[in-house]
Amino acid sequence: MIKVENLHKHFGKLEVLKGISTNIQDGEVVAVIGPSGSGKSTFLRCINLLEMPTDGRIMINGQDITDKSTNIMKVRQNVGMVFQHFHLFPHKTALQNLTYAPMKVKGISKSEAEKIGLGLLEKVGLSAKAHEYPNRLSGGQKQRVAIARALAMQPEVMLFDEPTSALDPEMVKEVLDVMKNLAHTGMTMAIVTHEMGFAREVADRVLFLDGGVLVEDSSPEEFFSNPKSERAKDFLQKML
Amino acid sequence: MNLDFQQFIPSLPYILKGIGVTLQIVSMAGILGFVLGIILSFFKISKFKFLGWIADAYTSVFRGTPLVLQLMLIYYGSPQLIGYKIDPSTAAVLSFGLNSAAYISEIIRAGILAVDKGQSEAAMALGVPYRPAMMDIILPQAMKNILPALMNEFITLTKESAIVTVIGVTDVMRRAYIVGGEKFSYFEPILIAGLIYYMMVMVLTVLGKGIERRMRRSD
Repeated sequence: MIKVENLHKHFGKLEVLKGISTNIQDGEVVAVIGPSGSGKSTFLRCINLLEMPTDGRIMINGQDITDKSTNIMKVRQNVGMVFQHFHLFPHKTALQNLTYAPMKVKGISKSEAEKIGLGLLEKVGLSAKAHEYPNRLSGGQKQRVAIARALAMQPEVMLFDEPTSALDPEMVKEVLDVMKNLAHTGMTMAIVTHEMGFAREVADRVLFLDGGVLVEDSSPEEFFSNPKSERAKDFLQKML
Repeated sequence: MNLDFQQFIPSLPYILKGIGVTLQIVSMAGILGFVLGIILSFFKISKFKFLGWIADAYTSVFRGTPLVLQLMLIYYGSPQLIGYKIDPSTAAVLSFGLNSAAYISEIIRAGILAVDKGQSEAAMALGVPYRPAMMDIILPQAMKNILPALMNEFITLTKESAIVTVIGVTDVMRRAYIVGGEKFSYFEPILIAGLIYYMMVMVLTVLGKGIERRMRRSD
């Protein structure tokens, strides 16, 4: 379980997160939505400490990851992340992208890592592309490899930072389908997204952020059909 | 123009032997410069400001004074610095290596900074510590981008190595000069030396292109 308590983040004088508190249960799929600049990406990046919280606490399975004595690398091994722009390693093949971190960080053997890697590539429908370099893949394929790469570390939590925002429209579905399948396996997921349909269909809960404040924390049905706040109403009107 | 290459044919093997001397100095200086350059570039991007300050000062001094002066300082200064005179080719390797480290560190620093920040973030997000992320993910990509600039530096080093003549190392240049002195005709042997340097640079160029092609495999 992820427990976020009074999370603050400043970039210099700019306060991006102004005290966010929420819980994410094991196996829960949470969609984080809100206008741009609302702090949703920063919120996500705090959960694997790509951004250091200025104040507040984040507990993952009872461990305070914001504590000074916490091994950040160990935390990150357990929290996978998928980026808007994929960030695949361009000098490594798809399979090498998947096997690099498990071999380097967990010290598992090459054959074992490749077995896991090939299995994951099959799950995302890209077995045939195992030995291709990222430049030979389409955007949707790159993002599916990126998801598989994160999964190769066998994390307990997966974070998605606008995973479909950089994709051509016809490639959005293939990525969302992979994520949907992942959600059905019981993976704990936090997804920053602008795909309202996907959030409504797949998410167990919706977090609506605006101006660094968690404005709504509710079920998708409630949020999309009956938003409480004016800001959420306003946002949804523009989106739908 | 009356050129008489005939009379220099017996001296040709002597001049050509200088290639080995030149190559030895250049390759050892190149390795020294490259290794030291990488270390200095890490200093420059380090979060410890003090290390960056040291590396910047180093670059400033070696870039701000003539190479021939550095060569002479090290060669003629060695008795006072370390108590005994080092041999000329050691002085050459040291000064060329230290000097090109200053330039190479700037090239590598720029190359590292030019790699998309998302690459180190992706490595961090996978729990890969700084050092392996740098060695396995960032540096290989940086190297690919800076290869032409790096090749340029090695080519410059090869040509500039001719100044070892001033401390008496018998490289290609020096030998051509000696032969010229023997025959009281400098034009032809120096032309021959020029041709030799040009050929060496051509070989380096082709080599660089080959490596570049290999590294562009993933494109």
